[in-house]
Amino acid sequence: MAARETNPNFMNGVPELLILRLLQQEEMYGYEIVQAIRSRTDAVIAVGEGVVYPVLHGLERDGALRSRRKKVNGRSRIYYSVTVKGSHRLDDLSEAWTNLVVAIQKLLTGGQHGEAIP
Amino acid sequence: MAKPFHELRERLLRAGVTPRHVRRYLTELADHLADLRAEEERAGRSRADAESAALVRLGGMDDLAKAMIEQRQFQSWCVRAPWAMFCLAPLCLLAGTYFVACVYLWFGWKIFLPGADTPFGSPTGPMYGFANIYFQAGKLYYFGAPVLVGWGIGLIAARQRLKAVWLTVGLVLIAWMGATSRIHASRTAVPGGLGHISMNFFTLGASGQAISDGLLHALVILTLTVLPYLIWRLQKAHSGPV
Repeated sequence: MAARETNPNFMNGVPELLILRLLQQEEMYGYEIVQAIRSRTDAVIAVGEGVVYPVLHGLERDGALRSRRKKVNGRSRIYYSVTVKGSHRLDDLSEAWTNLVVAIQKLLTGGQHGEAIP
Repeated sequence: MAKPFHELRERLLRAGVTPRHVRRYLTELADHLADLRAEEERAGRSRADAESAALVRLGGMDDLAKAMIEQRQFQSWCVRAPWAMFCLAPLCLLAGTYFVACVYLWFGWKIFLPGADTPFGSPTGPMYGFANIYFQAGKLYYFGAPVLVGWGIGLIAARQRLKAVWLTVGLVLIAWMGATSRIHASRTAVPGGLGHISMNFFTLGASGQAISDGLLHALVILTLTVLPYLIWRLQKAHSGPV
């Protein structure tokens, strides 16, 4: 029997997607990233703030992000920015997420066989 | 380091995350915590309340540890392949240092004892000056190599908070290799030919005396290599659980 592709976790890849999208616009450090996620999603998506770093480090190791140390107001910060590889990954993740949203939206609004949920 | 981060560091190291990544993670968390605390203080909280609120916002220790441990790419090779890190790699490194020792000896033979049949002792009596220093330094390097390699893997095991099983196996192998290594040197029969140096390992002599000498030598190396690690373990045991 052929293996069926499943989607066990709808939030899978979402932190990556959000981080890559934010960093594509400008370079940021961890604290700024978390605040930006919170403010731009109207606090709908709130993550345990410290857990953003393993995601950042993982993306950097995969070559999707690059980091540099920068002194701001006398404090050394690690700023992250997106690489070309990261931009491609963002495109892939965005496409996958858009398809998922469209599919769920279609289901919720009735689609071919269902009825719209009031 | 603040207590929550100290505990987190120990937990991450014991879980096999490389010390380099642990250090960076904790540095960024400490910076983030300082930013959160400043934000909470700006919002009018007292310093103590701001600290508590900042810690809550940063995330629980379980979550912080789990997020990093789940990133398998940050796992150290000591955890992924301990047999390679503590047995194969040190033996290869020791073999490499012995190769360098042989080359060193060969050059000394060629430069300081050009007519001698063997580099172990001069046919014209004791050596002085630079020649003596050269051969003494070589001897020190040769006998010190297994101890240095042993200290190296002991340091790796201590940094990674590893259990002593693989380290012990590695140290025993190093001691055995160090105690049984033998250098052979002879001049080739061809007139004006070059000297020939070779080594063999892991064989004890047939005589009882050679076996007991080898075992004693191995025991000396093992004791010297394991001692700093044991001292570190004892210090850790006094200051808290390892």
